Amino acid sequence: MLKYTLKRLAYILLTLWIVITCTFFLMKKLPGTPFDPEHFSIMSPQQQEKVLEMYGLNDPVPVQYIKYLKNILRGDFGTSYTYVNQKVTDVIGGRLGPSALIGIQAVLLGLAVGLVLGILAAWRHNTAIDYVTMIIAVLGVSVPNFVAAALLQYYIGLKWGVLPVGFWTNWACSILPSIALSFSPLAQVARFTRTEMLDVLDQDYIVTARAKGISQFKVLTRHAIRNSIIPVITILGPIVVNLMTGSLAVENIYSIPGIGSLFVDCIKANDYPVIMGITVFYAAFYMLVVLLVDLAYSLIDPRIRLAKGKED
Amino acid sequence: MKMKKIASIILAAVMAVAPAVNVMAEDSTGEVLSVATNFEVKTLVPWAASEENAFLVNNQAQEGLFRMDADNKPQPALCDTYEVSDDKLTYTFHLRDGIQWSNGDPVKASDFVFAWLKQMSSDATNGYSFIMTDYIVNGAEYNEGTVEADQVGVKAVDDSTLEVQLKNPTPYFLSLTTMIMFFPVNEAFYNEMGDQYALSPENMVYCGPYVITEYDPAVGVTLKANESYWDAENVKIQDAQVRVMKDATAALNAYQAGQLSQVDLDSVNVAANQDSPEFNRQTDFRTSYIQFNLTDEVMGNVNIRKAISLAIDRQTLTDMVLADGSAPGFGLVADGMSGSEDKTFRELNGDVSPFDAEQAKEYWAKGVEELGSEPSEITLLVADDSVSKSVATYIQSELDKNLGVTMVIDTKTVQGRGELMDANNYQFGLTAWGADYDDAMTYLDLWTNGTPYRGNYNDDTYNSLISDAKTQTDDETRLNDMLEAEKKLVEEDAVVAPVYHRGSATLTKANVKNLISHPIGVPMEFKYAYFE
Repeated sequence: MLKYTLKRLAYILLTLWIVITCTFFLMKKLPGTPFDPEHFSIMSPQQQEKVLEMYGLNDPVPVQYIKYLKNILRGDFGTSYTYVNQKVTDVIGGRLGPSALIGIQAVLLGLAVGLVLGILAAWRHNTAIDYVTMIIAVLGVSVPNFVAAALLQYYIGLKWGVLPVGFWTNWACSILPSIALSFSPLAQVARFTRTEMLDVLDQDYIVTARAKGISQFKVLTRHAIRNSIIPVITILGPIVVNLMTGSLAVENIYSIPGIGSLFVDCIKANDYPVIMGITVFYAAFYMLVVLLVDLAYSLIDPRIRLAKGKED
Repeated sequence: MKMKKIASIILAAVMAVAPAVNVMAEDSTGEVLSVATNFEVKTLVPWAASEENAFLVNNQAQEGLFRMDADNKPQPALCDTYEVSDDKLTYTFHLRDGIQWSNGDPVKASDFVFAWLKQMSSDATNGYSFIMTDYIVNGAEYNEGTVEADQVGVKAVDDSTLEVQLKNPTPYFLSLTTMIMFFPVNEAFYNEMGDQYALSPENMVYCGPYVITEYDPAVGVTLKANESYWDAENVKIQDAQVRVMKDATAALNAYQAGQLSQVDLDSVNVAANQDSPEFNRQTDFRTSYIQFNLTDEVMGNVNIRKAISLAIDRQTLTDMVLADGSAPGFGLVADGMSGSEDKTFRELNGDVSPFDAEQAKEYWAKGVEELGSEPSEITLLVADDSVSKSVATYIQSELDKNLGVTMVIDTKTVQGRGELMDANNYQFGLTAWGADYDDAMTYLDLWTNGTPYRGNYNDDTYNSLISDAKTQTDDETRLNDMLEAEKKLVEEDAVVAPVYHRGSATLTKANVKNLISHPIGVPMEFKYAYFE
């Protein structure tokens, strides 16, 4: 297990290096400079020179690349161009919390409701419950989250006045965006759980359990649910990453200071250090979550052995 | 059971990020004046900030020698009295007695000198150094590093006397001092903070009507009335906020839910709200115009340029397409900007870029004849924002209808468009300029350097008109020079074709009174506002 984990970590580092290299050179191909053209063009040559010097943009791109690699090895991700004098780690760190909070809440909500719906649908297969659940699932997958976000904001926020329309002042502000974001994971989890449950309910050991006279409820909770939940964990990894890394549309609608809008803004503004910082963060985060999911998988399902153990 | 462990890990994760939501605690007791901005407040350092929202915030939390009133005229603020020498080149400002920073330090003349020198030095990154170096003696030389600070024409005679030497008579100099670059910065405090200055509310000291209590670039700014402000008794509203709201419809929802005191409408929402008593329009001192590249084969022909300018029906554009309070661009200098004592510049100079389809056809035919053949297509370079794109589409249909020419729209990011124009790689482009101060020179001065971005226009007559206007002590001759220069640039040489002056439409809650907004410079004044 340890050896396997170390090996995976080594691959992660290698992949990160490739991601950094590709992004760095592609990013330099973006048109324009990191500076507002209207204002940069009217700076004096001395000021332009000083600005370029300050951010190391006078060097040839390969030299900048080597310098960047050296710096991040020391944990220095540089200073943002647009957020004057702010460290990239501080800029990203400040935006992570809000995105992570609504992301996690959305996952938990989607997971809880999705599981219940999926189980009910399978248990009462081909009944009204099943059909309603599947309609919800199709809607959840096909209706974009910004539509849900705008509708929730208009009705619950404005018309009924139950929850804040926007802003980021207290916990109540995070409820509507979390609900808006939860529709997609809810639908995915519900569909997946239903399919898995139906599969499991057909298995011999369920028939055996029923034959032993165990109550229907216990068959479900003890045997069926536990076994059908395992595959759900695999789709949970990407869902978590997706939601925790922020959603531009939902963040803009609810005025949440999250990382999704930061990512789009920094690309538009050619803020190179922030673009690199977020890319590295996204890539590392994604790979770590996938690794965690794989590890969790082996913990929950003893049939899966990640490393070549003695049983082989 | 393992599930329990996983559940507890997830729970712990939620607990860990939950404090993130408390970045802004609302603890206001009375009514709060709350306005929205659709951009982040990325920096508040005066010589680094170039965006309107930073001007908005700094104008409430800081103050300069003068502050603009409801008619956009400068009124004494930190300055008590002032004298101007007979040659109009030396200004002596006497500061008010007892003015102080929010940490108790006195505001001294040297604090102005420090901030102004910073803005003129090569440390300034906002691109606004010209607003001082163009006027102040040795400012440009100081920027280049050829003279020392003590030779620059801004000096603290004593703690409360500031003396400024100008290169040329500048009738609008007092207006300039209402801009945030001219505000003082507490030198001792700044040196203590270094590059951490203005990153958080505690890292700034304030001399304006308000102090900042909370600041997050992505969330906005919370303000509280400044007790040590010299005119504190006249500041009615105790609590104010500037909120970042990037989505216009969401901002309107927030306004209707009572979370904002004022909101900007986008063109989609104007029609539904324009009959509301809370509705208000204002035309900004900002002109969107077509820049022709004079070195381009086709656009080098003056008749072609005139034809294109005459072929665009600007009134229909602003009435039907934009419908957001924008005004048709019948001249480069925006409507409402100062001219003589009793008339605006626009009133004096009339329409220099009108719409006339018949005349356009004649000029086009003449141009085509001079070129030898009709251009198969022409390419307009535009930025990729939605307004620019719809304006470009409108121009495309106008040119097709009135001239029968095929126009291709080349859409680039703002940065990409700027780069292509700087590299002289365009035929004609849609661009804009916002006035920095209330005087025609803020526009006309741009076309004297002959750069590709300004269409490679380099005309001796035009340049001498501008340089004469700059050195002129007689206000009337100066004004005539500028009127003539605009006519030459737009009407005779058709170097640019003004299209529209950006407008804004807003809703303001009925109980909010006297919330002044300016069409230039600092966008808004909270100081005079009150609740009814």
